Amino acid sequence: MLNVHELERKYKAYKLKTLLPYVVIFVSLCIIFVVVLFVKSSDMFKSNEAQHNQQAVQTHLEETKITPKKEVVEKNETLKVVIPKKEPNLVLSPSLNFMSNLKHSSTFNEVSYQSVIHKDQKKESIKQEIPKKEKILKPAKKEPDPVIIEEIKLQKSNPIKIQRQITQDDLSHVLKRFSKNNNPALSLFIAKKYYDIEDYHQSYNYALITNRINDNIDASWIIFAKSLVKLGKKDEAIQTLQRYIAHSKSSQAKTLLEEIQRGKFR
Amino acid sequence: MKNNIFENAKSVFLDSVDAKDYVQLDRVSTIYQSLKDSVKKPLKMILLYGKPGTGKSMFLNKLYHDLSTSQKVIIYQTPILDENEFFKSLAQDLFDVKYQGELNFTQFMSIVKKHTIDNPEVPLVLLDEAQLYPTVQMEKIRLLSDTRSVKFVITLHKTQKEDLIAKEHFKTRIWETIELENALNNELKIYIQKKLMKANCFDTANMFNQRSVNFIYKLTKGNYRDTNKLLYSLFEIYSWYLQNSPSSIKTNEISKKIVEMSAIHTGLINA
Repeated sequence: MLNVHELERKYKAYKLKTLLPYVVIFVSLCIIFVVVLFVKSSDMFKSNEAQHNQQAVQTHLEETKITPKKEVVEKNETLKVVIPKKEPNLVLSPSLNFMSNLKHSSTFNEVSYQSVIHKDQKKESIKQEIPKKEKILKPAKKEPDPVIIEEIKLQKSNPIKIQRQITQDDLSHVLKRFSKNNNPALSLFIAKKYYDIEDYHQSYNYALITNRINDNIDASWIIFAKSLVKLGKKDEAIQTLQRYIAHSKSSQAKTLLEEIQRGKFR
Repeated sequence: MKNNIFENAKSVFLDSVDAKDYVQLDRVSTIYQSLKDSVKKPLKMILLYGKPGTGKSMFLNKLYHDLSTSQKVIIYQTPILDENEFFKSLAQDLFDVKYQGELNFTQFMSIVKKHTIDNPEVPLVLLDEAQLYPTVQMEKIRLLSDTRSVKFVITLHKTQKEDLIAKEHFKTRIWETIELENALNNELKIYIQKKLMKANCFDTANMFNQRSVNFIYKLTKGNYRDTNKLLYSLFEIYSWYLQNSPSSIKTNEISKKIVEMSAIHTGLINA
């Protein structure tokens, strides 16, 4: 005799059994989804925090940037005093990357050094322009035109003086740094600077120091030899270059040697 | 009234090998015709094989039913495993010889020889479930078929057939082998509906759509015996619901739930 109730019970158990794998898969997928969502949200929270911190730092930086501007604006009234005070913020911080290039070519170094000077000039001119803008933007209470004219006068009147000031200051800064770390790139830089300002004794000294620290820098030996020639020690310069060429086969040194020997370089 | 419909439908699927319940399907009819043709050929032995529930016994019964009016044919649906009894039954059924006492193979062969001279018509013996016969007895059946005095059609399960026909002497003697297979999906629908319509159960026949037949096919794999069992159980459950809870069933189509319940009941689903 057919027991339909028993059959129905069996049917329900069977259905449960067949649906169980699907339920398990669904539940496990849900769990995985929730876990992934949780992990992602926590990551986002962390990144938001980082962003928030970054923003805070940025705003802080902006604040710090803004404050000197105010000072500049205040100090624009006395232009002659303002320029030297701003110098540490603006220039005379030659990068070491730039200096590392000096090792490879003296000519290139010369060019780059010149470019540094130009940059200095540019930066200075930019610096001088900043107050102009500030002045122009401000309501015209104190007649901005005379101030601008005065600045232009300042630029045109004695540009060489400004350059020299920068070079000396630059040198003193680099000298400080060199005394701290004995970096041959810095001493070479100093030697080149002295050579440029025709202080051949000092350029000779610093080239010598550089050679003692590292005797494989072409530019240093070239400055050394050039300084000797300028000091009237041509023979000594030739001997030094010959020894160096024998040691390093430097093409730049060879060229300089030929120039000295032919009298092209005096 | 509706109760009767399901009860009638249930009785249609009673597992029987009655020739009148034979359902003609295209593929099956072709096979049956080839079997009938083979019987007319001067073959010693015909092998009908297939998986259980593929309709071998039905085929044999149908053949017996069709040929019994035109020629001497006997059928043994259950094997007579005792050799003496087997030959005594053959002697009586084929030649109307009632033999008293023991009848061995030699004695039986002398009876066959005597009657063959009198009547040149070769009688046909249909042996169902031949795989159950002992090997020695099968060897004697083989010798008997060699005399061409008696023709045999034997049915056996496919798994057994490989053992049997692998033997060299059977390989040479079986001249015709016919394989029966489960119904295909579309054949199963025709089978169910034809079976129901033959019994005038048109309402229940219309309840089977392709979806429900597909599901039944999935459960039974087209096996006729399993299908009969499943549908018998199905209509039994329908009948019960109609009597006890008529609102819980629909009579316009076969419920998947009830098919599953009947599959659980018949063991096609292991719940």
